Amino acid sequence: MAKVTTRIASLEVVFVLAVLAVLGRAAQLQIVQRSQWESEAEEQRKLHLVLPARRGGIYDRSGVALAITQEYFHVGIAPTEVEGRSATINAVARSLELPASRLRRDFAKNPKWIYYHGPFTGVQVQALRKVPGIHLTPEFARHYPAGALARSVIGGLNADSGNGASGIELALDSILTGLPGEEVVLRDRAGRRYESPSRLVSDPVPGEDVYLTLDAELQEIAEHGLDDAIERLKAAGGDVVFMDPSTGELLAIASRRRVDQDLIGNRPSFFTDPFEPGSTAKLFTAAALLSLHRVDSTDEVYGEEGKWSMPGRTKPITDAHTTHGNLTLAKAIEVSSNIAMAKFSQRLSASEQYDALRDFGFGSPTGVEFPSEARGRLPTPDQWKPGYNGPSVAMGYAFGVTPVQLAAAYGALANDGVLLTPTLIREIRGPDGKVRYRHKPEPVRRAVRREVVRTLREYLAGAVGEGGTGERAQLVNYTLMGKTGTAQRFEGGHYVTGSYTASFAALFPADDPQLVVIVKIDDPKGDYYGGATAAPVTRGMLQEALATRRSAIDRRRLATSEAPATSDTASRVEPEAETSVVLPWPLSADSTKARDRRPVPNVVGANLRKAAVALHRRGFQVALRGGGLVVRTSPAAGDSLTAGGTVTVWAQ
Amino acid sequence: MTFRGRHWIMLWLLLFLGVAAIVLARRTAALETARRLNVLRDERTALEAERAALQRDLRLTLGRQELGRKAENRLGLHQPADSEFTVFRLPTPDHR
Repeated sequence: MAKVTTRIASLEVVFVLAVLAVLGRAAQLQIVQRSQWESEAEEQRKLHLVLPARRGGIYDRSGVALAITQEYFHVGIAPTEVEGRSATINAVARSLELPASRLRRDFAKNPKWIYYHGPFTGVQVQALRKVPGIHLTPEFARHYPAGALARSVIGGLNADSGNGASGIELALDSILTGLPGEEVVLRDRAGRRYESPSRLVSDPVPGEDVYLTLDAELQEIAEHGLDDAIERLKAAGGDVVFMDPSTGELLAIASRRRVDQDLIGNRPSFFTDPFEPGSTAKLFTAAALLSLHRVDSTDEVYGEEGKWSMPGRTKPITDAHTTHGNLTLAKAIEVSSNIAMAKFSQRLSASEQYDALRDFGFGSPTGVEFPSEARGRLPTPDQWKPGYNGPSVAMGYAFGVTPVQLAAAYGALANDGVLLTPTLIREIRGPDGKVRYRHKPEPVRRAVRREVVRTLREYLAGAVGEGGTGERAQLVNYTLMGKTGTAQRFEGGHYVTGSYTASFAALFPADDPQLVVIVKIDDPKGDYYGGATAAPVTRGMLQEALATRRSAIDRRRLATSEAPATSDTASRVEPEAETSVVLPWPLSADSTKARDRRPVPNVVGANLRKAAVALHRRGFQVALRGGGLVVRTSPAAGDSLTAGGTVTVWAQ
Repeated sequence: MTFRGRHWIMLWLLLFLGVAAIVLARRTAALETARRLNVLRDERTALEAERAALQRDLRLTLGRQELGRKAENRLGLHQPADSEFTVFRLPTPDHR
């Protein structure tokens, strides 16, 4: 018996040990390794999907879409799943606009899978969604609804990564790129997805929308105007810049290069390619002469009858427009005399001339939001050859500027001497439509004193007046001022005979400039002078801009800028109260808002809460005095106050 | 009447069936909603594509180059010089 008892006891012990082993293993699996097995099971059962985020759009200043992201599709067909081959072939051919014969050939090969890359739009594939055997693969792709308009500014995406590769797409890539989301779907043992609602882990966050300062209509005028000019003048290329001088906003920028008889517009040379500005830069030497009081209005130099062998220079300096007798600085600008400017420049030291150009922003990038902006070329005074660089710089040679630098410098003349940073970004809005960033004018420095600017503007007006080199830019009913430039082209280390860069820099309208216009034509054939080529092109573009229904030109301010009584139509328009757009200098914290004035609402008699709400809604700060009902405000109701200003409210 | 064992079992069974029915109904509704959501997403995608295509067509048709050419060829119009039009001054609120 004992033997049996022992056996039973042994069995019991074995059983208990077995149970303990099972329990131990269970505990190990369930408690110790719980998370490991849990995650493994999750991995088998669930599939994590990345939800791509839509890239933000790029729009012009009034909301015209320039670049948007759209969902496109690739189409796959599983012939074994197809019900009714002929009907499917017809449906696919109709929707995707593919030849039915091609589809039949593809089906005849009896493949397991037929793939059409496309990409096809949602409209194209809509009818195929419920056709058995057809599988759609969605993909976000960039779409440019305005075609080639402003493409050199907008740039493009990297085909592989989908990130910005050039232009604004690159400069603002982190803002335009959204944050991908994630979702989880269930799958069976074979890895197939259950048809069940997916569980969203995180929503994709779309990228932010960028509103450029460009005006699509003005951009179109600039691009087509430039195309026409290059074709007509048989030129090698050209650039056009339109800028709002009061804000630094670039309204239109176009660039064209002739490559094998075709005009190519994909190179943003207005930012990247410096050129010798020629006579358009004479004004900056004049600014230095006037600022340092080296010249007064009666000072004259002899014009040398149009040809002067300057001591120390190998080649004589010549004037295209020969003048007789002496020239004042004003006359030198008006007739664009190289000789007079070279003579006047001798009253300045190299560093004084250099400083003046630096003050106008030459030799350093403007700071516009564009990758690879060139700094231009401005040698430091220690690199200047005595007797050579000074006169050359005064004539607009021996240094290089980009068209945008030149626009910014002329913008300072329109802006009472304050140089602003040019900008391409007007606004950035989040996916919810809220404004995240709005451009405010960014002053760089005062380039020149206000009274000097007044004189320089008189010179500019003279240069487009009767007998001036820019006469052909002048409009009939509106006045502009500007300066022509014609510079021999410097290529391959030497000046090319018979090859010139013609340019024109204008402020429009003359009395209250709303636009800075730079037109540059590379190597025009025939009459190559800036006054004969770039100036009329400027005039044509301005006429088109004036005639547009919705243009960047403020017509209310323009009504005051008409040329004085040159026609019946001009005399019909009454003058209007002046609207100041010039920034004060030095700039106070709120001075950029100076133009945004609005009337104070009447809140007398209202309780404090309602009064504060009404004032806040109008964009004012509120300072309270007392309690109860409002008895008066300061400023009083109806008075205008800058947005963000404080209204003091007295209550009893 | 007193509840006996089988009554309790029946009650629990009914309760289980009720809960199961509710779960099933909810899952069915969720599946249906998910399908409808997918259909709506597809429709939205198609509409967005259509809008973009229409915008592009509008832009091309109303573009200055196209419209200017048609106005010149069909109507004999031309781009006006600044002497051929007048900018009227809109009355400001103070002057109305």
